[in-house]
Amino acid sequence: MSALDIEALRDQWIGVQFEERAFELDAAAMAEYAKACGEVAGLYTDPEDPDFQAPPTFASSLQRGRGLPENFPQMPGLGMDAGKAVEAFAPIRPGPKTSRTHMHDIYTKTGRSGRMIFLVVRMALYDDAGTHLANADTRVVIREKPTGEEA
Amino acid sequence: MTVQTVRDVEFGEDLPVFDPDTTLDNVIRFTEAAGWRGPRFTDHEAARKEGLPGALVPGIMSQGFLCAMIHRWAPPARIVEVDTIFRAPVIVDQAYHINGVVTDIDEDAGRVEVDLTVTNDKGETRVFGTAKVDLPTAGT
Amino acid sequence: MILDLHTHSIKSDDGRAKVENYCQWIRTRELPIDGFVLTEHRQFDLESDYSGLAGEFGLTILKGAEVETEYGHVLVFGVTEPLMQEFDFGNIHLPLARVIEACESHGAVPVPCHPGRKRVGMSAHLEEHGVPEGVRIVEIYNGGSRDNEDQVAQDMARDLGYLGIGGSDAHIVSHVGRCATRFPAPITSEQVLVEALNAGEFEAVTFREAG
Repeated sequence: MSALDIEALRDQWIGVQFEERAFELDAAAMAEYAKACGEVAGLYTDPEDPDFQAPPTFASSLQRGRGLPENFPQMPGLGMDAGKAVEAFAPIRPGPKTSRTHMHDIYTKTGRSGRMIFLVVRMALYDDAGTHLANADTRVVIREKPTGEEA
Repeated sequence: MTVQTVRDVEFGEDLPVFDPDTTLDNVIRFTEAAGWRGPRFTDHEAARKEGLPGALVPGIMSQGFLCAMIHRWAPPARIVEVDTIFRAPVIVDQAYHINGVVTDIDEDAGRVEVDLTVTNDKGETRVFGTAKVDLPTAGT
Repeated sequence: MILDLHTHSIKSDDGRAKVENYCQWIRTRELPIDGFVLTEHRQFDLESDYSGLAGEFGLTILKGAEVETEYGHVLVFGVTEPLMQEFDFGNIHLPLARVIEACESHGAVPVPCHPGRKRVGMSAHLEEHGVPEGVRIVEIYNGGSRDNEDQVAQDMARDLGYLGIGGSDAHIVSHVGRCATRFPAPITSEQVLVEALNAGEFEAVTFREAG
């Protein structure tokens, strides 16, 4: 894919919201997530704790599926997770939540794996009162020539 | 000794090294909890058939390890930002070590920045990241 | 004088380090380096002035760039505004010959970095493209190297008669100074750095084992 195509993709897709989801966060699953990550404080591992909440990176696990708009062009290579970022604004607690996801950035660079296209998808997480709890960014890297080698 | 306030933190200090549990059992437990089931994370053979060196520790799990490390070091910490860059796969059932160091302190705001590096036994960086962490200011 | 010739700050898309924090880190941890060169990805940072920080911390802080060619990534030292008019630093498909020619015309020095790395390193492209004309120096110690990448770089440098530099390729504060380059005399500016590189008066060093 040429740099010109990337510019067209940027113009067409950056800022476009392509998913909104409503779901319920389960306290037991949140606690299991925390324990598997190595958290030890009851704040994160005990649903009975009065201040029980998920570690902020839990927001990243709430992104689902291909993570791209349905009609987004097929990329010419294998998609790999190049990085994730979370901005936490308020505690993530059990109960109803809403997420809204948009294409946040598209850019290219080269690395060990050759030419790569980076797609940054941002999911914003809200509680049922509309409080913005967190942003979770995923950087997907598309290797133009999949080789099966290490990323 | 754990950190309680921002005044307990010194620029350049090392966080206690954290060796995450990357066993297959724990990764399966994680994927069940996070809803990220998939053979590339839970089955070495299936992952190799995909051309991977073995089952992968999900990136979101590495990210979670970093948070746990910070919380163990500073229980009152409120992590406001974590940014992780995946440089190479983290493989299930292999040993890794997470190092953290304090790289910026704003005592007035109660905010510190931490570099985090996931390395293998050869000392090669697999994942690195940064975190911004809010801590209570002294006397509050 | 020892300089880390390959670092990235938050000006690079994947850089997470503030320049001030590099300075604090070097002094607090008493790293055995006297400064560093910021080689931001696909750009030359014209506007930033680090002279205040350099003075405050007693460090040399210089600026270069890291551009991308068919032979992989290439550090450029001695970037000037006229050089920036010669090619698009943001183009990830730059012909190495064009970069070398432009550098020679404008008194800059191109240095292929992490040349032992798969695909993005120069050694991976020698079979396909042949040995490029005009390369004199390559990076033989890179702080981000894995497996035998540095050894491949050193073998290539030996076989092709290249001189070698070292750089940490730091993207976060705590990685600065992992590898560097020793010069026999003080390096006080980009111009002096270019002169020292052209004179071949330097030696790559690594501090990784020492942590």
